[in-house]
Amino acid sequence: MSSSPLPGDASNDPTTDQSGRFVRQPNGRVRPLSPHLQIWRFHITMWGSILNRFAAGALSVGTVFIGAWLAAAAFGPDAYAWFASIMGSPLGLLIWFGITLAAAYHLTAGIRHLVWDAGSGLTPKAANSLTVVSLVAAGVIAVGFWIVLFATGKVVL
Amino acid sequence: MSKPARYVKHVKVSEREGAGEWKAERLSSLVLIPLALWGLWSAWALSGAGYDGALGWFRSPINATLLAITLLISVWHMNMGLKVIVDDYIHKPSSRTALLGLIGALCLLLAAAGVFFIVRLALGSAPLPAGLGA
Repeated sequence: MSSSPLPGDASNDPTTDQSGRFVRQPNGRVRPLSPHLQIWRFHITMWGSILNRFAAGALSVGTVFIGAWLAAAAFGPDAYAWFASIMGSPLGLLIWFGITLAAAYHLTAGIRHLVWDAGSGLTPKAANSLTVVSLVAAGVIAVGFWIVLFATGKVVL
Repeated sequence: MSKPARYVKHVKVSEREGAGEWKAERLSSLVLIPLALWGLWSAWALSGAGYDGALGWFRSPINATLLAITLLISVWHMNMGLKVIVDDYIHKPSSRTALLGLIGALCLLLAAAGVFFIVRLALGSAPLPAGLGA
């Protein structure tokens, strides 16, 4: 895949480029390298994407905590009480809150992606609005859930 | 890659397993939407309920079945998502294969152990390690 260089700018020729702006893809084709993070101007969909991948990673760790909870229940009352005392401590509650927030955002951002996959909301304005809505809705769900948990006395510090 | 490219409505058909993975990612996402909301509801029911509350919750076949389904689909979805992350950032083929194998094994372990615990709790089995020879 060779493209002719722009007139007077030989550095746009991938075969002679020394700047590292081109990369050989696994299929053997030479393609221009995407501009890296420091080149990008801040935009909300960028944060929506970064936070969604971060939430996905956090949830992967979260499943281990769910697995540990299942194990504690299956190992009987002593194991369960021990697990509940650790995960009911301030640090433990912070971990549960983090899992709630990650799950809520992965849910709302995932719905946003399904809307996009259906071909809707793809103009910059609509995409930005969808992202803001998914971020705010996730915060409302997670914080609201924990406010109710504390208000009803189901969870105490 | 040696096969000639195929097109449907002027859109290129994926050469390998890309289209199947794309569909599986969307299907698991769609199913997880109601299951995540049910999970939030369940977290509400189980919070502060203690050991006896948890046992009672697991004795409901609906709860146990839905939790097992949620766990299995979540781990499937998680495995696909982690594969995308590894594909994005790990370029050395041997490292990528090794990492994907490790992630797959951990996902399998998590799914198998989780279902094992859920089934025992649903059947009201004696607390472990009873039955494991201890």
